[in-house]
Amino acid sequence: MANLKLDRVGKTYAGGVSAVENASFEIADGEFIVLVGPSGCGKSTMLRMIAGLEEITDGDVQIGDRSVNGVEPGDRNIAMVFQNYALYPHMTVRGNMAYGLRNQGMPKPEVEARIAEAARFLQLEPYLDRKPSALSGGQRQRVAMGRAIVREPSVFLFDEPLSNLDAKLRTQLRAELKDLHKRLGATFIYVTHDQIEAMSLADRIVIMSAGRIEQIGTPMELYANPASTFVAEFIGAPPMNVLPVTGEAARAFLAQEARVPDDLGHVGIRPELMSIGDNGIPATITLVEPLGAETLVHLKMGADKLIMRSGHGLALDAGAEIKVAVEAGALRFFDRDGRTRSA
Amino acid sequence: MVENRPLAAILTHVVLIAGIVFLCFPVWVALVASTHPGEALQRSPIPMWFGDQGFANYSQLLREGVPAAGGVPLSTMMLNSLFMALGITVGKIAISLISAFAIVYFRFPFRMLFFWLIFATLMLPVEVRILPTYDVVASLGMLNSYPGLIIPLIASATATFLFRQFFMTIPDELVEAARIDRAGPLRFFWDILLPLSRTNIAALFIILFIYGWNQYLWPFLITTDQDLYTVVMGIQRMVNVGEGVPIWNYTMGTAILAMIPPVLVVLVMQRLFVKGLVESEK
Repeated sequence: MANLKLDRVGKTYAGGVSAVENASFEIADGEFIVLVGPSGCGKSTMLRMIAGLEEITDGDVQIGDRSVNGVEPGDRNIAMVFQNYALYPHMTVRGNMAYGLRNQGMPKPEVEARIAEAARFLQLEPYLDRKPSALSGGQRQRVAMGRAIVREPSVFLFDEPLSNLDAKLRTQLRAELKDLHKRLGATFIYVTHDQIEAMSLADRIVIMSAGRIEQIGTPMELYANPASTFVAEFIGAPPMNVLPVTGEAARAFLAQEARVPDDLGHVGIRPELMSIGDNGIPATITLVEPLGAETLVHLKMGADKLIMRSGHGLALDAGAEIKVAVEAGALRFFDRDGRTRSA
Repeated sequence: MVENRPLAAILTHVVLIAGIVFLCFPVWVALVASTHPGEALQRSPIPMWFGDQGFANYSQLLREGVPAAGGVPLSTMMLNSLFMALGITVGKIAISLISAFAIVYFRFPFRMLFFWLIFATLMLPVEVRILPTYDVVASLGMLNSYPGLIIPLIASATATFLFRQFFMTIPDELVEAARIDRAGPLRFFWDILLPLSRTNIAALFIILFIYGWNQYLWPFLITTDQDLYTVVMGIQRMVNVGEGVPIWNYTMGTAILAMIPPVLVVLVMQRLFVKGLVESEK
């Protein structure tokens, strides 16, 4: 168990390409942190620097108050779960889990005991003597988790562990992961590009873009008060509607707002904070997507397009003219660089 | 394309059987010839069915050899060939595994230069470098010795290249998982790389064993001591017995005996090879 600290960490490749710049944050012991961002934003590089698989070119990584910059991955007291599982194909499930422990010189009875416990925990007992090739994707990923658990590391690292699985299995394993975190009480750092995974798993989310940290916060903080238009558009499905102030829609929204900051670039509003009202801003429905529990209504206000989320059972037709009402305090304001401005 | 037409089936079988007969006929003739007394093969037509001298011929060959061809027992020559072939095979596989490991997994100065140097030796087979190699072996005092037979043939650019290509297909994550599991380079090599290379090793073993077994020019050059003669040289000596009557029965017997070990290697290793192919999955 350990806390983790990144101090102005940076990674520049030999060709001068910078993957991560000046990243600083602290992770408390037992926290579940999710690094999220679009592909190429440096989140995997960050994880690999924490793991020791990637050299740190700037700054300092500390695990449990010990700087680990030059420490080999095997000596950092971490465990990692990879996207493609990275199981040793020629070893059985038992062998895969035992390998790291044997390399530490752990006595056999203890290795066996740990494997038995992890296998029970992950329901892998019937498969212990099978090779990875005889397992399904979900089972393989469980084995990879088992390999991490038996080491009893202070930090667990996950590199998009669910991306290779189908949607149903992903939801199931996501719940198992959350349960695992609760039962182990260890520090988890999890990389994903899937914002739903990030929202549902994380204690705190670190959202990255182009090698920089955009915002750090709890999922609801990020959702309610995004620090930038990037975060606003990344978190949430459908994302926040971000409208340029020069457009008709933004002007109509701002006209209803009492206090408006100056120097605005964009105005944002979450899809569920709008509703169809008797009076409000006139809009035209361009598309209706009934999803069962909710309905996504695509709207057009002048030249601006936006999405509204409304309850189920609404009979709406494309082409209809409606009035859109906005909840009080729903608007978010961004300056011309896309950073948040408060009213 | 899977078709089921009787006429086509007959035709394909005729072609295949013709091919097999064409390939097997010389072997059959050799096998039959080795069971006849020498004179029977001087007359025309040559026999097409087994004679009664088979046991006598083979025991003469294996125990005492043929006096007209130096009188070295074939068992000695077979053992020599086996030593040489195994030495070359094991040596080649070991050296190329290690050099491919170095080239793929370590970043050292002039890495690519070394790789290309190894690769360039593909252009220099034994026959091309035979004079300087002979000179080196002679001045090291390795003439007429097993090391002299084996060591000059022990490096293989082909095998190094093959292992390099294979190592490069092993996912980086596997290497990283091993690093996190505290496997140092040598552990990684023994515990992960070597077992994963099993199929490639089996395939190379077949090819290299036959290569080593069939070596003719090199052993012919550096051995003058009859106790170090190999089977392939033995066949050659029997064909050139000089003014005497050709001893076809013994020559053919030697050829048959010389064929057995490579055939065995193919049969045994092929099963392992196929098993490895079916089992391995990255």
